[in-house]
Amino acid sequence: MKVFLDLGWFFKQEKKAYIFGTVILLFVALLQLVPPKVIGVIADHINNGTMTKGLLLEWMTVLVGAGLGMYILRYFWRIMIFGSAVKLSKQLRNGLYQHFTNMSPSFYQKRRIGDLMAHATNDLQAIQQTAGLGVLTLVDSLSTGGFVILAMAFTISWKLTLICLIPMPFMAILTSWFGTMLHRTFHKAQEAFSDLNDKTQESISGIKVIKTFGQEKEDIEDFRKKSQDVVEKNIVVAKIDSLYDPTISIIVGISFFLAITFGSKFVLAGELTIGELIAFTTYLGLLIWPMLAFGWLFNIVERGRASYDRVAALLREKSDITDRSDALEIIPSGDIHYDIEKFTFPGENKPMLKNINFTLNRGETLGIVGKTGAGKTTLLKLLIREFEDYEGGINFGSHTLQEYKLEKLREVIGYVPQDHFLFSASVADNIAFTNPNAPKEDIFGAAKLASIHDDILQFTEGYQTVVGERGVSLSGGQKQRISIARALLMNPEVLLLDDSLSAVDAKTEEAILSSLRKNREGKTTIITSHRLSAIQHANLILVLDNGEVIERGTHEELMAAPGWYKEMYLRQQLEELVEHGGH
Amino acid sequence: MEDIKMEDTAQLTEKEQKRVLSRLLSYTKPHKKELIVAFSLLVLTTLGELASPILVKIFIDDYLAPGNLVFKPLVILGASYLGIQFVKSFLLFFQLVKFQEIALKIIQQLRIDIFSKVQSLGLKYFDQTPAGSIVSRVTNDTEAIKDMFVTVLSTFIQSGFLLIGIFITMFILDVKLALFCLIFIPLILLVMSLYRKFSSRFYLEMRERLSQLNAKLSESLQGMSIIQVFRQEKRLRKEFEVINDKHYDAGMKNIKIDGLLLRPAVDLIFILGLIIVLNYFGLTSLDSPVEIGVLYAFVNYLERFFEPVNNMMMRLSLYQQAIVAGARVFRILDKQELAPGQNDESKLSIEKGRIEFKNLTFSYDGKRDVLKNISFTANPGETVALVGHTGSGKSSIINLLMRFYEFEKGDILIDGQSIRHFSKDELREKMGLVLQDSFLFYGTVRDNITLHNHHLTDEQVEEAAQFVQAHTFIEKLEDSYHHKVVERGSTLSSGQRQLIAFARTIAANPKILVLDEATANIDTETEEAIQTALSKMRKGRTTIAIAHRLSTIQDANLILVLHQGEIVERGTHQELLALGGLYHKMFLLQNGALERLEDVMH
Repeated sequence: MKVFLDLGWFFKQEKKAYIFGTVILLFVALLQLVPPKVIGVIADHINNGTMTKGLLLEWMTVLVGAGLGMYILRYFWRIMIFGSAVKLSKQLRNGLYQHFTNMSPSFYQKRRIGDLMAHATNDLQAIQQTAGLGVLTLVDSLSTGGFVILAMAFTISWKLTLICLIPMPFMAILTSWFGTMLHRTFHKAQEAFSDLNDKTQESISGIKVIKTFGQEKEDIEDFRKKSQDVVEKNIVVAKIDSLYDPTISIIVGISFFLAITFGSKFVLAGELTIGELIAFTTYLGLLIWPMLAFGWLFNIVERGRASYDRVAALLREKSDITDRSDALEIIPSGDIHYDIEKFTFPGENKPMLKNINFTLNRGETLGIVGKTGAGKTTLLKLLIREFEDYEGGINFGSHTLQEYKLEKLREVIGYVPQDHFLFSASVADNIAFTNPNAPKEDIFGAAKLASIHDDILQFTEGYQTVVGERGVSLSGGQKQRISIARALLMNPEVLLLDDSLSAVDAKTEEAILSSLRKNREGKTTIITSHRLSAIQHANLILVLDNGEVIERGTHEELMAAPGWYKEMYLRQQLEELVEHGGH
Repeated sequence: MEDIKMEDTAQLTEKEQKRVLSRLLSYTKPHKKELIVAFSLLVLTTLGELASPILVKIFIDDYLAPGNLVFKPLVILGASYLGIQFVKSFLLFFQLVKFQEIALKIIQQLRIDIFSKVQSLGLKYFDQTPAGSIVSRVTNDTEAIKDMFVTVLSTFIQSGFLLIGIFITMFILDVKLALFCLIFIPLILLVMSLYRKFSSRFYLEMRERLSQLNAKLSESLQGMSIIQVFRQEKRLRKEFEVINDKHYDAGMKNIKIDGLLLRPAVDLIFILGLIIVLNYFGLTSLDSPVEIGVLYAFVNYLERFFEPVNNMMMRLSLYQQAIVAGARVFRILDKQELAPGQNDESKLSIEKGRIEFKNLTFSYDGKRDVLKNISFTANPGETVALVGHTGSGKSSIINLLMRFYEFEKGDILIDGQSIRHFSKDELREKMGLVLQDSFLFYGTVRDNITLHNHHLTDEQVEEAAQFVQAHTFIEKLEDSYHHKVVERGSTLSSGQRQLIAFARTIAANPKILVLDEATANIDTETEEAIQTALSKMRKGRTTIAIAHRLSTIQDANLILVLHQGEIVERGTHQELLALGGLYHKMFLLQNGALERLEDVMH
């Protein structure tokens, strides 16, 4: 029940709704006592032959009043209590989203997106249940249960009440126990289902391979096995699920049996009328729900607490990259100077970068080459402050990166990442990501610079074509060029191209590079690439290996001395030359 | 995950919904025997359910009210009451399990059916449909249908049964009163249809909003670094809040409609029922004596009557969803875009491996030709290389050769016979394709080489790996051939993935090799291994290869230069260079500094 304390802040915030809701619930619980009472009274009048039309009319009016009253009140508590619960999940969801946008990449490195999604969906669902159904079952089982027991004990017979209540706690205990088991087996069934989902996903993504090797039958057989597993795990769930009704039915049956047996004894002894006995059994029927609910309550609350703890822990997490209190509001500009002794990714031992030292003058182009994993991308990520914990410093103009406001720093940097991620929106919206109100001409201009304009016009709906995960699928080269256009739309002071031309062909690469050279006169550009042709015109080229600069210089300088660059370059050349007949 | 589109339901007329339902129910046919068992259990438990109020009625009217307590019959009465309770509960358990079991089996069959169907569809379908939505059909939609089967088979039928039973018993007890009680039926049906009408709309809206919300969240998480580096956090937070608000509104609407029409409304009808019964007995008692036990039984039945109604109401939205899901599943099952047909009776076999394209013209959409009048021949053991700009039609040639798509004009001949005349198995066995993105499945490295060919021995697997230069690096992996491949092989480099894909093809030992060369980021050492492997693989096999790096196909017997679906140049590497045309230009462009270097060297 601790979770109710944890959620105290929310109950306080919504205290009106919760107080009114609870009061209404109490009223409903009271009104529920009316119909059984009326049944008992009428039965007695009939049995005793004291029935009159007036009496009948009187009691029927009571029934109608109680019925309508309950109907209206039940509607309102739902809105108040369930409505508040929905509000809670909305509030938490917004909070989580905001939190996510504040967290730095090191946060995302530790976690899988699937898990974060689970927090925002399943956990919020469980918390919502606690704040809605949890509160309802708590209030309702206590009030309805309490009132009914009181009514039975005080208006009919406390002896009979005690006798008949004996089996009831078993119901609460058993339903709670079943709930725990159900949750556990259900979890397993969900896992089997998610395996099946993965299997399907994989088969569909790999459909060409399957078809190529003629493995359809075998793959279907594999699918059959996995779906069989789902069936088996679900049957276990079904078995536990099917325990509820019979258990309730037995316990209620026993309780009724006790009521009738002992009740008739009291009737014969003159302590009870037949009408009262009938009313009593009707009350007993009203007790089923609160007992069940009491059993559920434990499960709901247990799950809610676990979920709330997880979400709260997530929200407590602080971003490791924040603005200093005295951060500068100015836009950085000028030369970029790296002086890094060592940088190690959080949670790893081996340094990713060592002794990186260079100055890139404003308006110049820097080329970074080297093997996969040499540290090229990391070097760029430090400039956009995705990671910070390094020994040494990076200066932009006359200040270090940390002295600027993060927002100001990022305002001048256009970044084209290696994994070209596009949002599920139109091409135009994707390009105009930094400025949704950008005029058409600017969008077209950026697209033209990135040599993607003509491709876009070929799409069925041109610039309005929806791309991204839920839109049309584009080739890797097209996605890369759209990401380039997205960065170019900002006309950034500093452009970072992180191996962003790997999927475009040589001709397009050449076209993009030459248009960039023309357009970005006087602006700083950093390019990392596997293909040396992409960085050959750079003012400075760094060759990275294992996080260290092993060679540096212009293309001409690097070609003048033996080394990795020259070897790599000649290697490419040599094959061509031999092909040319060796001239 | 693909959303449940609101239009989907709007499009389904009552008639279509019925058709979907009856088609779904037709899946019960193979389970006739089990259903009979389940229904027998259902009849027994329902009888048990109906019996107890009658026993109490007999007790009240015959023994309690007259004060006539005879020991023996009372013991029998009490024992049978308890006995019935226990037996009923016991049977109830098996009945509930049985219905769920049948439902699960039905869904499994439906899943296998749709999965098999998807496997049999042509690639055209996969081009037009996002993978996520297909997966959604196979798993999530069938899951929605499962919920319905479990509830339709148990809740609906069970409740319906009980309701009928209650009415029959009521008629036996008192015909006139039972007739009065018939008044509930239209009332309940009215509430149900009202509820169904509104709630299905609101419920679907909420589902739609929720899936929008999740899509937005998942996408934001995936693109978070982009959002942050481009400083769009505030804008996206706002966008998210807007969707979240809409979801909240939809949730509130649901709560309201549930509050108006669900349990509170049913309880109100119960009160109405009570008024009718009590009035009836009250008024009758004014003229003639009334059996108080019958009153008890009626009130008791009334209580039992409304629980199943509540159950059914709560499940109505599931039903609605299942129908929509079912309609979508059947839409796939009815798809006609099958993979191109082969003559599977054919005994023709590929002996030499001579491939000839004859005047082939092809279009994906029937409007724009992506291949125009393509003709060429690859003689047994020779390599034909396809080069050209992105979109020039290289991949289309391979797609047609692999029979991923059907063509209309022209023909492809293998050993002089139309490719259509070979059986599918023969084609798959003799033709090996290596794809640009080497797709690895979840499992071990070995699984990925053998695929489902379990007859391959460890030696054969190793041999294949050795042949393609993959053995060395595989041995260095943890657990070597039993190394776990996770997340599409993301822990392996793309070069390594490709070598494994090569080994997969070589293990199948095809006569004809179709290569779609990978372009992106392969480190130099692996690159060398790949080149060596490629030339070894090509030996003795007719090869059709797409080359992005022209250096890899210098020794091809024939190079076709494609441009906008046409072969614009053809010849050997040297011939094409001498020609000084498109090929020559492409060749120079692959290395922009070439001329300068040449200058230096001269």
